[in-house]
Amino acid sequence: MGTISLERSDRLYWLGRYTERVYTTLKALQSLYDRMIDRNVGYDDYLRSFGLADIYCSKREFMRSFLYDRNNPGSVASSLERAYDNGIVLREEISTEAFSFLQVAKDTLTKSEQSSNIRLSLLPLEDVLFGFWGCIEDKMYNDESRNIIFVGKSMERLDLYLRLKYPFEEVDKEFSRLCKALRRMPKDTPYRYNTRYLSDLVEILGVQEEYQLHSDKAVTSLGHLFEVSA
Amino acid sequence: MQQTVQFSDSIGNAAEINELLRRYGVKFGIYKNGEFHEQFFPFDPIPRVISADDFHKLEKGLAQRVDALNAFLYDIYHDKKIVQDGIIPEDFIYISSGYLAQCEGITPPNRIYSHISGIDLVQGKDGEWYILEDNLRIPSGASYPLIARELTRIACPDAFLIHDITDNRNYAQLLQETMDYANCGGIRAILTPGRYNAAYFEHSYLAELTDSVLVQNDELFVEDNILYHRTYSGGKTRIGVLYRRISDEYLDPLSFCPESLIGIPNLMEAYRSGNVGLINVPGNGVADDKGIYYFVPKMIRYYLAEEPILKNAPTYLPFYEEDRKYVLGHLDTLVIKDVAEAGGYGVVFGRDLSKEKLADFRDTIIAEPRRFIAQEVIDFLDLPILDEGQTVMRKADLRAFVLSGKETKVWASGLTRFSRNPDSFVVNSSQGGGFKDTWVLSH
Repeated sequence: MGTISLERSDRLYWLGRYTERVYTTLKALQSLYDRMIDRNVGYDDYLRSFGLADIYCSKREFMRSFLYDRNNPGSVASSLERAYDNGIVLREEISTEAFSFLQVAKDTLTKSEQSSNIRLSLLPLEDVLFGFWGCIEDKMYNDESRNIIFVGKSMERLDLYLRLKYPFEEVDKEFSRLCKALRRMPKDTPYRYNTRYLSDLVEILGVQEEYQLHSDKAVTSLGHLFEVSA
Repeated sequence: MQQTVQFSDSIGNAAEINELLRRYGVKFGIYKNGEFHEQFFPFDPIPRVISADDFHKLEKGLAQRVDALNAFLYDIYHDKKIVQDGIIPEDFIYISSGYLAQCEGITPPNRIYSHISGIDLVQGKDGEWYILEDNLRIPSGASYPLIARELTRIACPDAFLIHDITDNRNYAQLLQETMDYANCGGIRAILTPGRYNAAYFEHSYLAELTDSVLVQNDELFVEDNILYHRTYSGGKTRIGVLYRRISDEYLDPLSFCPESLIGIPNLMEAYRSGNVGLINVPGNGVADDKGIYYFVPKMIRYYLAEEPILKNAPTYLPFYEEDRKYVLGHLDTLVIKDVAEAGGYGVVFGRDLSKEKLADFRDTIIAEPRRFIAQEVIDFLDLPILDEGQTVMRKADLRAFVLSGKETKVWASGLTRFSRNPDSFVVNSSQGGGFKDTWVLSH
């Protein structure tokens, strides 16, 4: 019916953010897991990226906490619960089919917890997430609502890439994608960017050397992107 | 009447269908000890089957009943001829908690008060259907058989190849037509109290299927007696019809319960001005009060000059001296219902009470005769259900859905609820009951 309330737009935005947080966290942990198999690599850099203290006794404990512990706000499980909470109140907007992927994702993660091969058991979760986003593309005819989800998704991915210091080329691509999604946001909505912070981001993320020196500042500017200009 | 066809075979693997229901988030919420719990509604794969002849009679009888109830509601909020003519004592109108003086004189679009009526029936062992209860406020449950049919067709397609079953997946279309007929100009919206309401799944699913906006009260406002949806860009969109899924008393704090935090101030003024259609309209509770139930056959004769096609369960009103004497003399064989209760609560079987409890109950009935109705216990048909792989027989009812728009239409399906407890007649989901698909045969 094409009318979006403030509350609904907030839910759409956070649905995008949390589903992306599930995906990027999952990918980052899988990459870290791979490196930890046969190299002398720890998880302290990962914790430092988010300003977290090391309270874990082992790599295994760290990995299980960040994958499955619903009480760990940085975990895949916790983000998935938040995504589900937003999805359940958006059923009529995103479709029952799209929503069902969130239930399947939860079931897949729960099943993975019992598996002896974590990486293998988590592969279907990636499939489910791609199924979810594909369904969003396919089933949502309201361009405005769909774009809010993808603004949230893009914001989250860029935020995590910046914190985890992903290579400049990948950050650059994600920033371009975010800018395209932002240009589609109507005026007078909460997702209209603040020009000052967008300019800061352009300045930092437009040049590889600047990015390497000032990625922390980029995280801050990104956090202020939707603040109304003074 | 033709005996209902019995299908004791499962139409598929219960686990598969319940897994699909879980996947699609088919849940209902209940509060236990003040905490909200979301539960899956247990589905039984053996369908209830209604023959085409049986349904034809049900269809006519249910439409007749709902037409009479709509005529009654118009009368009660206008001239009250049925009271003046001595058909219904005024005691049953004005002390009913469902009667709302604030609705006096309001005529909704097309004079339809109950757009969606949920009529609860049981079938006796002799094949006769009996009306147990009318639900004219915000009857819920249609979404469960609707989605269950969709999923059982995925899980067990052969069952639908072998049997000639009327497709029930037109409910959303019927609902949309009903909403459009009540629309006063604007978009369709469904008002929900929110995620933690017992029927939230239904609210969101029906909004999806009818292309309505699912809204909560803080997204709505009334300006110049017009209801608007507040948009995130600071604009507003007019709402022409609101299918509200919150109770009358919480609907508008300026007209009803002032403490309501889930209502919309001035909604009643917008409705009274004819600027928004409400589904169902406030004040319908006066017609589905358990005390008024007794009078529905009389209403049919009074308003439609027809004989009722469907029977009420044999009912006594302790309010009348003759009935009171009978009730007090047969308390141990009757089922007593507190008219103020719902959801299976306030129902007492006399046979389950000790002598002391019966004596206490007798005193209560004498002191408050208007508070209760008494009914003969109908020996209703048990239906087969699967319980841990075994077929067992359990009590079941049927909630039929009647939609009143341009025409009064009965949905060729319904919610069959069953008791999972072998000794219980109570089928409500809030008390652990399950549901099954209801097949209406095409011919």
